[in-house]
Amino acid sequence: MAKRKKPRHLLHVLRIVSQLVFLGLFVGLVVATALGTTVTDHPWLARLFLITDPLILVGMTLAGAFSAALLAALAVLALSLLFPRAYCGWICPLGTSMDIIDKVLFRRRKRTREAAPALRQMKYGLLAALLVTALFGLGVFGWFDPVCIATRSFAVAVYPIADWAAKTGLVAAEEAGIDAAAGVYDWASGAGLFIRDANFKEGTAGIGYLWLAVFAAVLLGIWLAQAYQKRFWCRNLCPLGAMLGLAGSVSPFRPRVSDACIACGACRDRCKVGALEPTADGERYRGLVQECIFCYSCEREFCPVDAIHIGAGRPGPVRPEPRVVPGRRAFLGSAAAAAVVAPAMLLDQRTREKNETNPKVRPPGALRPDTEFLAACVRCGACMRVCPTNALHPSGIENGLAGLWTPTFVFNIGYCEYYCGVPADDVQAGRLDGTANLCGKVCPTGAIQALAHAEKIAHKIGTAVFDPTRCLPWARGEECLTCEEQCPLPDKAISHRTEEVANLDWLALPQSKRHRYEDLEARLAAGTLSDTERAELEAMPPKSRLLARPYVLRDRCIGCGTCENVCPLDGPSGVRVERLQTREVRVTDVGGQQRQRGRTGHGGPR
Amino acid sequence: MAHRLPRRTFLTTAGAAALGAAGMAALPGCGGGGNADATYRARAHPQAEAWKNRIGLAQGGDDPARNVQTAIENLCGKDGVRTFVRQGDIVVVKPNIGWAQVPEMGATVDPTVVATVVRLCREAGAATVKVFDNSVGTDAKCYQFSGIEEAAREAGADVFLCQRHRFRTVTFADPRCKRLKEWPIYDDVLTCDVLVNVAVAKTHNLCYVTLCMKNLMGTQGGDRGKMHQEIHQNLADLNVTITPTFNILDATRVMIDGGPGGGRKDQVVRADTIVCGTSSTTIDCWAADPAHLPWPKGHHDLKAVEMVARGAEAGLGTADPAKIEVAA
Repeated sequence: MAKRKKPRHLLHVLRIVSQLVFLGLFVGLVVATALGTTVTDHPWLARLFLITDPLILVGMTLAGAFSAALLAALAVLALSLLFPRAYCGWICPLGTSMDIIDKVLFRRRKRTREAAPALRQMKYGLLAALLVTALFGLGVFGWFDPVCIATRSFAVAVYPIADWAAKTGLVAAEEAGIDAAAGVYDWASGAGLFIRDANFKEGTAGIGYLWLAVFAAVLLGIWLAQAYQKRFWCRNLCPLGAMLGLAGSVSPFRPRVSDACIACGACRDRCKVGALEPTADGERYRGLVQECIFCYSCEREFCPVDAIHIGAGRPGPVRPEPRVVPGRRAFLGSAAAAAVVAPAMLLDQRTREKNETNPKVRPPGALRPDTEFLAACVRCGACMRVCPTNALHPSGIENGLAGLWTPTFVFNIGYCEYYCGVPADDVQAGRLDGTANLCGKVCPTGAIQALAHAEKIAHKIGTAVFDPTRCLPWARGEECLTCEEQCPLPDKAISHRTEEVANLDWLALPQSKRHRYEDLEARLAAGTLSDTERAELEAMPPKSRLLARPYVLRDRCIGCGTCENVCPLDGPSGVRVERLQTREVRVTDVGGQQRQRGRTGHGGPR
Repeated sequence: MAHRLPRRTFLTTAGAAALGAAGMAALPGCGGGGNADATYRARAHPQAEAWKNRIGLAQGGDDPARNVQTAIENLCGKDGVRTFVRQGDIVVVKPNIGWAQVPEMGATVDPTVVATVVRLCREAGAATVKVFDNSVGTDAKCYQFSGIEEAAREAGADVFLCQRHRFRTVTFADPRCKRLKEWPIYDDVLTCDVLVNVAVAKTHNLCYVTLCMKNLMGTQGGDRGKMHQEIHQNLADLNVTITPTFNILDATRVMIDGGPGGGRKDQVVRADTIVCGTSSTTIDCWAADPAHLPWPKGHHDLKAVEMVARGAEAGLGTADPAKIEVAA
């Protein structure tokens, strides 16, 4: 390996320190975003990286879902006016993870010269397209926002995988007779470090099933694309980077190349983001203010003649150099494409929304109607990380393409915990005005509103509905009532009634016996039965028997999904939470007269 | 020429795959079942046969701790807990920590009761006293809300959450088990010397009341909803296989409606009663009787609480209130 020729610039060293500190902070905060930790006591910590993201601020404002907390992003925006993409080089956790992967895997790989510089225009087009979709009231820019990607990948893929690996290792060690492993397991579990589902399903599902693999793949893709170009994502695709770069076009601080340049191309080979390139005549190099991430690697280390200086000086052109940003036609083209795709997504959404039995339900406090939620949700996955029963998972396209990766309940794994964010002391003291839903606590954009306990338990997530073809008492005549037992409401939303049902023992009699029984029964009613015949009738199994059957009281049910979760059936539960009546009551969310629509008052069959 | 796989790459890949597979197998839910030859081995109370129809009772006052002590002494004499806890024993105290409700809701055992039992066991020389329950609700919340975690820890117990991988499948081999063949039971229950079952008196939507016999479900893992089909027989089978050394019923508060989850203070009445005995069935028979605890009028009669009859059939105790000898 070539020896380092020149010492690092002091700012280069500081930049590495800054990157590691912010990455550590980011990871630490996501890990600690769990029930009963400091982070959930001070939820701004959980939101820290997201609310300081200017793309989220601008996007949410355009989508009509502005909230005051997002103004924290003005700090980063102000920073970018002076140091355009310093955020990317010094702070962004996704960027830092890329640098680490690059150092570990691609240290000796030569890449830059043959890479296509024109690709970098894509990020500006993407930014334009995403902001147009935001104008249509869709928060889908979160799919591409780097902080959202980092949060989502880490919370929904990296963390569950690490969690699984740690548990597997510890369990194996424990089974092998190492007591310390059991101790560590208990400690980690007690400290809330492990993902725990309701009913000990930990380790079997992780978060998000298939999505775990998808998010892991997205992250891997971003990391491994560096085999082609360093910081491929930041350079070519990142819409936040594009926005910061454009904002910083006015900055006096920029990479400057002096006349001493000998056009050797050393800087172009080594710059992570391609911010140094030859001028049109090829006689010297120039720095691109929109692209430079202020990593300070070049100034002392790359240039053999010390011609590069990143700093203040004579103001450069505010208008980006040609071939940095796409031309007007390409810009308008991306925006127009988005203006076609966004309404199509909305139409798709509305069509699905009309489907009454749409089973996908939102966290408590999610904005309604769902179109408002789709505008405000950045698909960051913070709510999924914090859910104490691991009930929240990313949607697929069940909620429409626009709903991709928005949170939805998977009640087979967990349920909406009745006292979710409420500490025991508060219940004891009757102080129930603090935020009760952890998902609402950590949501950076207010797509999931923070609810006080009284609001949360009155918030109708959906309504439980019995499936008479599966529920044991309804479908098979077996006793159960597990759902009623575990309904957490003080006034239970599931009740039961003892009913006469067919007796399988009677049905199993041969037909002749059954007819004989019915004959005797008719004569008993007519009062013409002899004593021997009466004895014969009594010796036969009765035609029907009594069985308690459950019903949903839909005015009480809040759709927390506990019943669906605890149903002992394998496969789909016999009682499921659906948005069925949510749509009818969404204007007030709760209470009041519900539109009857010809139904009588329970969820079971009549 | 076909590319040859270097030996080292092959070995490391194969090794990693083998490790991964071993890891999968070790993780519950991915590999084979638990330890098949796990058995329950806690001692029976020395007087278990003699006191099958006998219960200790303490009523009145507003100090559950004193009631616990009195009830145990009424049954066991001055030696109290020493009649079944020996020097150096590992004792499991299994209270009902099933629900995330504060003690006033009567959904869980009063923390003072648990703390007292822990203290008595420690004083009798127990090396370790473990307190845990496979909660129905979100376990960490149940432990906190019930106040049991804190109280038991203060009294010197080892309190921990149940972990899925520590359930072992136990074969219900006793011929008196009519319905259940096997069930996963928590490891610490299987390895303890003494199991003390501490239940709370509540109504139940399916089996009218939940007392000592049903409280034992907290030692079970697996899909406990499947206990609810013919629950009375299942509970008898469970009590035959996992027979507690000693049972205590906390009726300091009785949940008279909305059970077993509760959540309304107006459904809880104070009875300031502690019952103890060596037979869960006999305690349940006494406590399910509307004459003894403030069950609502017309809610149930003793015959409706079928688990008592099933338990008596299995020889666990008596279903005839007239035969119960009350040591008060």
